[in-house]
Amino acid sequence: MPINPVFIVILSAALYIFGYYRMPFVYGGFFLQLAYMVLRGIDLGRLPLIGPHDTLFFLSASFMLFGIPVSLSLESRQRFLNPVTAITVCFMLLAMLARPHNYPLPPVLKTFWFEVHVAFSFFSYALFGLAAVLGALYLISRDEESEILQYKMVLVGYFLFSLAMILGGIWAYYAWGTYWLWTPKELWTVILWLFYSFYLHARLRQWWAGRPAAILGIAGFGIVMFTYLGVSLLMKSSHTF
Amino acid sequence: MGNEQKDTKVLNNLLKVFLSLRTAIWLLMALLCLLLYGAVVMPANEEFLALHTAPLFQWITESPPGITWWLWAAIGVLSLLTANTLLCSIESVVKKKSARQWMLVMAPQVAHIGFLFILLAHLVSGYGSFKGTAVVYENAGLRLPNGNDVLFRKIDVDMDSAGYMKDWAVYVEYFKDGRSLGSDRILPNSPSLQDGLGIFIKNIRFLPYPVAMIEVCKEPGAVWALTGGILFMAGMMTLLFYKIKKEEAKGV
Repeated sequence: MPINPVFIVILSAALYIFGYYRMPFVYGGFFLQLAYMVLRGIDLGRLPLIGPHDTLFFLSASFMLFGIPVSLSLESRQRFLNPVTAITVCFMLLAMLARPHNYPLPPVLKTFWFEVHVAFSFFSYALFGLAAVLGALYLISRDEESEILQYKMVLVGYFLFSLAMILGGIWAYYAWGTYWLWTPKELWTVILWLFYSFYLHARLRQWWAGRPAAILGIAGFGIVMFTYLGVSLLMKSSHTF
Repeated sequence: MGNEQKDTKVLNNLLKVFLSLRTAIWLLMALLCLLLYGAVVMPANEEFLALHTAPLFQWITESPPGITWWLWAAIGVLSLLTANTLLCSIESVVKKKSARQWMLVMAPQVAHIGFLFILLAHLVSGYGSFKGTAVVYENAGLRLPNGNDVLFRKIDVDMDSAGYMKDWAVYVEYFKDGRSLGSDRILPNSPSLQDGLGIFIKNIRFLPYPVAMIEVCKEPGAVWALTGGILFMAGMMTLLFYKIKKEEAKGV
């Protein structure tokens, strides 16, 4: 059954906007996002993880997937969830600018390793994005809870990102005979991983805690976006989206 | 102060530098800057296209230093980081061996060891890897670098009604001195691995007749990379688990 994505996305975005006034609308918006991805997955016969449309949508849903439970642990949920909702809606609308990839998967992509590698990559991008939001909140309000939570988001994001890299290496070995390729995507992936390694080690020192860490967390998301979108759009790589 | 005392003082100062988290932070910053520079230089120089076709250290010694100096510098920084990581990990384990939460002490060190194994993997592959490509037809034969022969018996392609390739399979048989060593089947993400070498299919065409572009690879660092990856994730998972446990205990 052909799905008109525009209707679902507009409804989801509308619910998210109503979420500024009443939290349950945010849950409704997220449910619609998930429903769209499930229906698209059923239509394609696979996880919708190829191309800018699907990956941007997946990333947008991932912000909420982690953002909602994180917000429940905060005293001031709305203050955190409002910017997260804004980012979610932005990425969702960006996804609509790209044509969905409805072609069959090439045989090399039909593997468990590829799907988990991509899924974990985007989960980690979302966590790094949430860390950036928390860093910004800390800079505005000097609320220590935000900075501590930023560190936790980065730690979990780093764990998932490392796992995504290892799974990608395993897949690359089976697909192409090598666990490492010197392409722009791989190089920027290492830069991203080293950046957050730097963040996690620097934050152990008193001087880096607080404002410097918050700024690093925000800068890190800039590197995430370049690694994901910049490399795919601006450079030739086997890793385009 | 005698010469011996001076030497001891120098060694002690050097050890202090390597036993420092601040050193790790500076080295990570330096490595980041070098790789960021490399990320700009690589797309702008055609020489880097050949980086995949040869082991790293062979390529880097044959390429102009003007475009590879950052890679040499990154290798140097990684060597220092290796020493720093190893010494800091040993010191941490020795100093905190009687700590109550011993797993919380060990977990990051296991992750560090995993990281070092991954560096070792790249070092081993950088010297000892091999890649060769060829175009093969059905019943074509090749002599492999290990002295064995491989015969590509059949190339099968499964196309859908719209003309997209759904699946493929390549059937091979290995020989040594005319004697069959056995057969194998190469599928997507399922290469044929035999005697340290892997045969991978890079591309397949079915029309007007079946032909495959193959790559014969040797990747000696793969096992070390996998070991390092497993250790790293084990360390990270343990660290996360104990940090969460500590959080929950605080909340009680």
